[in-house]
Amino acid sequence: SLNVNSVHGPVVNPYRTLNEKLIPWAKRERRSAGGSSGGSAAAVAAGMCDAALGTDTGGSVRLPASYCGITGLKPSYGLISRWGVVSFADSLDCVGVLGKSIDTVKIVFDSISSYDPKDPTAATPCIRGKAQASVEALISALDTNTSKPDLSALRIGIPQEYFPTELDTTIVTAVRKVLKRLSSLGAQLIPVSLPSTPYALSAYYVIASAEASSNLARYDGVQYGTRSPPLPGTDKSKPSNVYAHTRSAGFGAEVQKRILLGTYALTADAFDNYFLQAQRVRQLVKSDFDSAFRVPNARLSSSPPNADGVDILLHPSAIRTAPPLDSDATSGLDPYLQDVMTVPASLAGLPALSLPAGSAADGWPVGISIVGQWGSDELVLRIGKVIQRTADTDDSYVPLEELAQSLYLLEHIA
Amino acid sequence: MLIRRCPWRSVQLHQLWRLRQIHTREPIHDKRWPGWEVVVGIEVHAQIKSRRKLFSESFTSRPGEIPNTTVSPYDAAFPGTLPTLNPKCVELAVRTALALNSEVQFRSAFDRKHYFYSDLPAGYQITQRYSPLANGGYLKLSRGNVAVGITQIQLEQDTAKSTFDGLRRTSLIDLNRAGSGLMEIVSEPDMRSPEEAADYVRTLQAVLRAVGSSDGNMEQGSFRCDVNVSVNRPGEPHGTRCEIKNLNSVRFMMVAITSEVFRHIELLESGCLVPQETRGFDEDKAETFKLRSKEDSPDYRYMPDPNLPPLLISEEYIEVIRKTMPELPDATRARLLNLGLSERDADVLMTVDSGREVGFDGELGKGAVAYFDALAQHRDPKVVVNWMTHELLGQLTVRKETFSDNPISVAQLGELMDLVQDGKITGTSGKSLLKHIITNRSSAPPSVLAQELSLEAISGNDTATLQTWCAETIEALPEEAEAVRRGNPRVLNKLVGKVMQLSRGRANAQNARVVLNDILRR
Repeated sequence: SLNVNSVHGPVVNPYRTLNEKLIPWAKRERRSAGGSSGGSAAAVAAGMCDAALGTDTGGSVRLPASYCGITGLKPSYGLISRWGVVSFADSLDCVGVLGKSIDTVKIVFDSISSYDPKDPTAATPCIRGKAQASVEALISALDTNTSKPDLSALRIGIPQEYFPTELDTTIVTAVRKVLKRLSSLGAQLIPVSLPSTPYALSAYYVIASAEASSNLARYDGVQYGTRSPPLPGTDKSKPSNVYAHTRSAGFGAEVQKRILLGTYALTADAFDNYFLQAQRVRQLVKSDFDSAFRVPNARLSSSPPNADGVDILLHPSAIRTAPPLDSDATSGLDPYLQDVMTVPASLAGLPALSLPAGSAADGWPVGISIVGQWGSDELVLRIGKVIQRTADTDDSYVPLEELAQSLYLLEHIA
Repeated sequence: MLIRRCPWRSVQLHQLWRLRQIHTREPIHDKRWPGWEVVVGIEVHAQIKSRRKLFSESFTSRPGEIPNTTVSPYDAAFPGTLPTLNPKCVELAVRTALALNSEVQFRSAFDRKHYFYSDLPAGYQITQRYSPLANGGYLKLSRGNVAVGITQIQLEQDTAKSTFDGLRRTSLIDLNRAGSGLMEIVSEPDMRSPEEAADYVRTLQAVLRAVGSSDGNMEQGSFRCDVNVSVNRPGEPHGTRCEIKNLNSVRFMMVAITSEVFRHIELLESGCLVPQETRGFDEDKAETFKLRSKEDSPDYRYMPDPNLPPLLISEEYIEVIRKTMPELPDATRARLLNLGLSERDADVLMTVDSGREVGFDGELGKGAVAYFDALAQHRDPKVVVNWMTHELLGQLTVRKETFSDNPISVAQLGELMDLVQDGKITGTSGKSLLKHIITNRSSAPPSVLAQELSLEAISGNDTATLQTWCAETIEALPEEAEAVRRGNPRVLNKLVGKVMQLSRGRANAQNARVVLNDILRR
């Protein structure tokens, strides 16, 4: 989504293209920062902080990272405790990290990803260890700390279904540049197929809305929070008459829409066709990933590794650059479509990292996503580091330090 | 064991060959409703007697606790909180399943049942509708050689308590109970009369208390029943059922079922259909009233709880529980009879035992049977049970106390019995000593007390003291002594009694009788 429904109004993307170098902030084109963790991404992109936390349910950390030109990590589901996180969709919510660089993101991630017994979905130290062991050999073989690492042991999968016709062609160009650099370092690029991808977005929205309608049922103004008293003369013997006032006043239009859809999906009539079917699609999406990787899934008791499989997947983070705020792109079904690249990794609970990969034709940032098998966050971050390091030599990429400085100078001039 | 498919429900019925086949039971002819058959099924919600709640660390509450004090952020459904399963609740539910011969499932799962009500802070209740902890089972009633089938046993959360303040027209919500663990025990519609329903409830309460999984108290709210009632002509399929909720005692339950049966029969006999409804019970009018109809019943939108992984229970775990759980009433009775106790003695002991307090987290309570077992180690069980039922309970009853008020430890009573058995004190002295310990709440060992109170029996060799007492007795009761001399032996008892009184119980009654006889015959 696009972070246009906040109670404070839409979050404005602070990125400044090369063309806009001399245009004051107030006169520049206003674009979406992406969402729903757009605020966190914007704060990092504007240089207000080094890193920020967000929650990624269907791409809410990766999409804003892509739009704002920064790094955003959605770790493997269960690595970072959700105790204290306001639940939206429990089976999909992940705490994510946004930062200027991979190193910053890694520092934050390393310090918060530990086992918490208060979170029943947290991965035990045993499983974490098992997953790390599967990629240990590969990580040591890659030796990513040198400036020109040898990636010949690395097999990178390029999923065919992630290049739909809606995808901006200049984004493909940017992604190709990154792939070329990796290839020149010896990495093998292998086309793979994840056939369930076209169904993932619908399944995601059914499951997320259904779980959200359940998790948001507690906001009734009785135990805590906002309470909007019912009008005098209301029949208070029916709880729904009393709750409706608080819930209508407290929830924004977008949230109300999702709660209604989610409630419908769970009704006795619709359950089989929507919720249950979506769960079946989710299982297919997970199986697709497990078949594509040669790294076994530590959460499955028996996961025979596919010898022809790949170690990580690489694909564009979004189908377009940040959409302009006052355009059709921010209404109707378009905001939902922006999540199409990010939801499959959410459904499967896999680690996914979005990092800047140059810019598109309109000068706005392009993000590239690295997706790994469950628990291989370390590997994903290392490959991200390689991409980031080799990107320094690319002219079209505006380093963040320069951006922050010019922003500061312009504010003083204007 | 025969297994047959029930024609009306697509489940298999496990029938014990020596008990009546449930669905082909001969129709019971009840004079109250001739020509009609009554079908009753009961859903019980029993509070699990665990220290902490089902999914949070807060303590379960006791009756009389200050409202809203045993509440954690999770119980109040604060955002950002997550559930953590309390393994003690699972253990106690497994004990219950084993006691009801129910099959504990290797894999069970948790669902969310959604509805909006002020006693449900999260807007949903976590339960196990579709994949319960245990399936099947039966409970043998105390009368009539009948076994009521159990459909399933599941874990679920209790709601908060909502009280309506009529004066202020406000609902008062107490979250102390919110999130406490419940076992929902669903019976098959196998009962055929209000009396069988009452028998089922009382027997189930006794079983739960015996295994320590619940207090099973309907009046205090740790045992709640929803009753399903329908009627049909013998030989015809079951009629439409109505559910009666919020019944507070077994007596009211029987009245409610009876009134409901008559209501159904009246409707059917006047040519109307019985609408499927949920009804409440008006205690003053002794009749049921409509709460909601089938159309108004909510769609609970069941959804698997995404936070809780499936509950996996291994065979080994079940075996450990089977071995360490308390004895069931049937097994206890058989064991006591085996030790040589009479049926009457066993009954008395078990009745007293059933009043014992249930320990938290399934810890074994200290009831009369456990007390007896401890005493009967290396002692004659019949002697032990006599002391317990006649002397101990007798003394307590005189003081209007029950076994739970018993101040005498196993060690004390054991030593006391041994002193009597070994002849160190007489039986009469023993009884006095018992009375002394109970009255004074003394924790001193009986041997010490016997010395302090000069209750030691005089030894058999000390005939001099006994002679003295006997002589004194004859002097004190000359008429009785004369009667014995004249050949009336029964009066001798009075003289013996006097000797015992003079000796303050220290004399041996047998010896006293011999000595008296001796003196009087001379």
